[in-house]
Amino acid sequence: MRARRAPGGCDDPGGPAVTAVPGGCGYPFAALVGQERVRTALLLGAVDRGLGGVLLRGEKGTGKSTAVRALADLLPGGEGLRTLPLSATEDRLVGGVDLERTLARGRAVLSPGLLAQVHGGVLYVDEINLLDDHLGQVLVTVAGAGRVRVEREGFSGVFPSEFLLVGTMNPEEGDLRPQLSDRFGLCVDVGGEVDPQVRVELLRRCREHEADPVGFVRRWQDENERLARRILRARHLLPQRHLSGQVRPYVAELCRTRRVAGHRADLVLERAASAHAAWQGRTRVEIDDVLAVAEFALTHRGRHAVPPPPPPAPAPPPDPSPRSSNDDANDAPQEKPREGNAGGQERPEGQERPGGPSGGAAAQDRTGAGDRSGATGPDETTGTDPATGPDGQTGPDGGKGSDRPTSPGGEQVFATGDPFAVRRLPVREDRGARGRNGRRLRTRSTDRTGRRVGTRPADDAHDLALDATLRAAAPHQRHRRPEGADRLVVHRADWREKIRRRRSGTLVLFVVDASGSMGVRGRMLASKGAVLSLLLDVYRNRDHVGLVTFRGREAQLLLPPTCSIDVAGRLLRELPTGGRTPLAGGLLLAHRTLQIALRRDPGLRPLAVVVTDGRGTWGLDGPSVPGEIPRVARSIAAEQRVRWVVVDTEDPRGVRLERARDLAAQLGAQVFRIEDLRADDLVALTRGNLS
Amino acid sequence: MKRPVYPFAALVGQERLRLGLLLSVVSPSLSGILVRGEKGTAKSTAVRALADLLPTQRIMQGCPFRLSPEEHDELCPSPPSAPCRSKLCRSNPHSSNPSSSNLEVATVRVPVVELPVGATEDRVAGTIDLERALQEGVRGFEPGLLAAAHRGILYVDEVNLLDDHVVDLLLDSAAMGVNTVEREGISLAHPARFRLVGTMNPEEGELRPQLLDRFGLCVSVEGSQDPLERVEIMRRRSEYEQDPEGFADRWADEQAELAERLDAARRLLPEVKAGQDVLLRIATVCLDAGVDGHRGDLTLLRASTALAAWRGRDAVVVEDIEEVGELVLSHRRRRLPLQEIATGAAPRPGGDR
Repeated sequence: MRARRAPGGCDDPGGPAVTAVPGGCGYPFAALVGQERVRTALLLGAVDRGLGGVLLRGEKGTGKSTAVRALADLLPGGEGLRTLPLSATEDRLVGGVDLERTLARGRAVLSPGLLAQVHGGVLYVDEINLLDDHLGQVLVTVAGAGRVRVEREGFSGVFPSEFLLVGTMNPEEGDLRPQLSDRFGLCVDVGGEVDPQVRVELLRRCREHEADPVGFVRRWQDENERLARRILRARHLLPQRHLSGQVRPYVAELCRTRRVAGHRADLVLERAASAHAAWQGRTRVEIDDVLAVAEFALTHRGRHAVPPPPPPAPAPPPDPSPRSSNDDANDAPQEKPREGNAGGQERPEGQERPGGPSGGAAAQDRTGAGDRSGATGPDETTGTDPATGPDGQTGPDGGKGSDRPTSPGGEQVFATGDPFAVRRLPVREDRGARGRNGRRLRTRSTDRTGRRVGTRPADDAHDLALDATLRAAAPHQRHRRPEGADRLVVHRADWREKIRRRRSGTLVLFVVDASGSMGVRGRMLASKGAVLSLLLDVYRNRDHVGLVTFRGREAQLLLPPTCSIDVAGRLLRELPTGGRTPLAGGLLLAHRTLQIALRRDPGLRPLAVVVTDGRGTWGLDGPSVPGEIPRVARSIAAEQRVRWVVVDTEDPRGVRLERARDLAAQLGAQVFRIEDLRADDLVALTRGNLS
Repeated sequence: MKRPVYPFAALVGQERLRLGLLLSVVSPSLSGILVRGEKGTAKSTAVRALADLLPTQRIMQGCPFRLSPEEHDELCPSPPSAPCRSKLCRSNPHSSNPSSSNLEVATVRVPVVELPVGATEDRVAGTIDLERALQEGVRGFEPGLLAAAHRGILYVDEVNLLDDHVVDLLLDSAAMGVNTVEREGISLAHPARFRLVGTMNPEEGELRPQLLDRFGLCVSVEGSQDPLERVEIMRRRSEYEQDPEGFADRWADEQAELAERLDAARRLLPEVKAGQDVLLRIATVCLDAGVDGHRGDLTLLRASTALAAWRGRDAVVVEDIEEVGELVLSHRRRRLPLQEIATGAAPRPGGDR
């Protein structure tokens, strides 16, 4: 299996041999610089694979993957490291019918998948937060059970599957869903080293390794072997462990004060402490062992979303009263976007399996299952996505935009209101919808761009998964094939199509009223704040955005659909306000823009957010014509694939015309007031959306 | 006869861009370059022009994975002239595969493989060989673009428009230098070390941070503000359009000189030394710039080393660091989403850009 592990020589000048820091093939574990906590956690994971795996979270280029791959060299022979690529399909992960052998023998032969092959070794998932939900779910199930069950085409088999799961991720790219992160026994937040001398040492060693990988590895060989022996010794010691009297009560107290959900943390902490003692060559487990590993076991389990920021120094001695560091974080408002664990609080009601972080993840599980079985459920409309979490927000004074009071032309540029956390708008429904409308040929056939996550029986040949189809046909070949024929006979019942998933999100088009009436009493400020908040939400979902504005006599497509949220935000900030309200024109332009996007991607289910008070004062061809707006609104509402939402900017303190409500009715849209977009109130509205 | 590409030596202005591209030819370990700029700033022209300046490399001719003879020895333990019995190729019993015949060592130019924005996952990572599966019921592997780009340059025009799942593929193999395929009944890993060269127009959206970090260098280009320079660009361009061959001929000497200098720099590269003061300076610069992780440090060291070699020196000096600093660090500074509008969220000084 040499091809499995870092094929290729290091000395080849054809491409960057070095990849992650400090990188290169076969960088020895013993030669890693700094990152004490990462090393400790990995070693503990290697001592006791029952710990449930190690998760390394950290910014780019902190040597996460290098450390993991280096670990593989320390493990006793046979315990290989296998990589689960993000592009994996379910059949390879779980296993399935072995095509050649099935054909040769004339009966189904199951071949083990990655999960069975990695039994006894290390399964490494880089960028695990980007792993498809569906595969993540399989991973969680198998890791919990310790065996993998293959069920394919009516044949089934069970393979043992116990392995050390190691995941690395960059939180910038989104969170790990709670159910998956909870599965990891240990978690380390990795930061870059801040001591210049340490960084210099790191540079020096990388350079040495790059220049002469073979010699470098040889120089560190003794040290590496010493570590490998130490792992083995610790594994032998582990079964003889005994806890000193205070350990269990202390663990319980620690978990209680840290307000950890469930009891898994207690068990993991005790186990990790035992592994630590064994690593130190002891059988007796002390409080100090608990303290040494507490951070690893608890970082990712706090009920409140914000993990403590990566400490500047490596391995600070844990505080004897370990509640201190986290309590601050718990009480402070969230500052880091997209780090929310979103497990416990503020979950929209009306979901099944409530309680605990896994309650939130349930919605997603069903989304995965929905694709497969065509199941319907409430999640399809709420589309809650706990992995990305709706409750991140920006810094406290996030919205200080430009304060320029006026701009040429008598128009005003209003500052942008502070962004706030918005509740999830019903943006995500297309995901569920696709699963539910499995029979909608059009959607499916045009949606062949997503990545394949699995297969299912098909009744048409639009997007056949050839391999799966052949495997389905293989067991029957003996009695299907006429004597002497050498071609496969495939029946319609064998057809399998690809289940595809796209992560690229949807399109949110903002249609913003920038007329003079928006300028009164800070309405524009509030509107910009609202749109900005929605933008932040969009960013976290990796949706595309577009921006249409209307003021004076015309509507303008300020930003064609793009994924550059930055540009959208800047344009919004600089958006001048003034003049009449060509509402009908704005709606029409939005409609046209969406049509273009839909032509490009017919599977798209865009969301259009109209931010206006609904008081149109300029028509399509001149001064406003009565009845024009309702006519336009109704005609564009005929496009079923677009979902409209109206954000009513009318000042609740002034005279209320409620025109925005009328507009919403004509568009078949939901209507929110700006005030309702705040997180506290949106829960109710999102729920209202279900009915 | 193929129309010759616009000669690199005939490019006008765009000093940073040219330097960045040249350095990534000198030092493959820089892992490529990202070129950002508006439409019509000669981004793609420059990148394509680079192809002519690439050096040659030795490969096993006919090997579908573009292995070097050394890699072939390691991965495919059969004598070079015997039929290829590599593990890779055995999992790839491609009927029309030339590797079933004898392999010879050949010297070819480092390839530039273009990854089209609309490429499917199958095409990029490789997929099951349809023909063999249907006719013989055998799972064969048909290598994709990642295999074709091994030891070469993978060029993505409009890299910011790539589908997310294709980006994931790139991240996976860029991280490890290995393309791991676990799909459609196929399970194999083959080397895929490539330099990533991308162009993008930032108006059409930003790159994901993780992908951004994979580009060793990054340069922003703008249209020239110098009227004379613009005239010169127009003049050369129209000369080229009218008579590409003649134009290439006229620049052949300069082009050859450039290639020679690149060659010398590449030979010098392994000899270039970096003293303690240089390393310390690099670490400090990166810390001051607020760069995530250590990849910035390493890349800055590699870029400075490449620059020293390009200048014909066998030691890095502090000025080298200054000169390439912007190329290495501009896209690595820490920056939160929407920082520009949601100001005040800057995590540390110098994090803005």
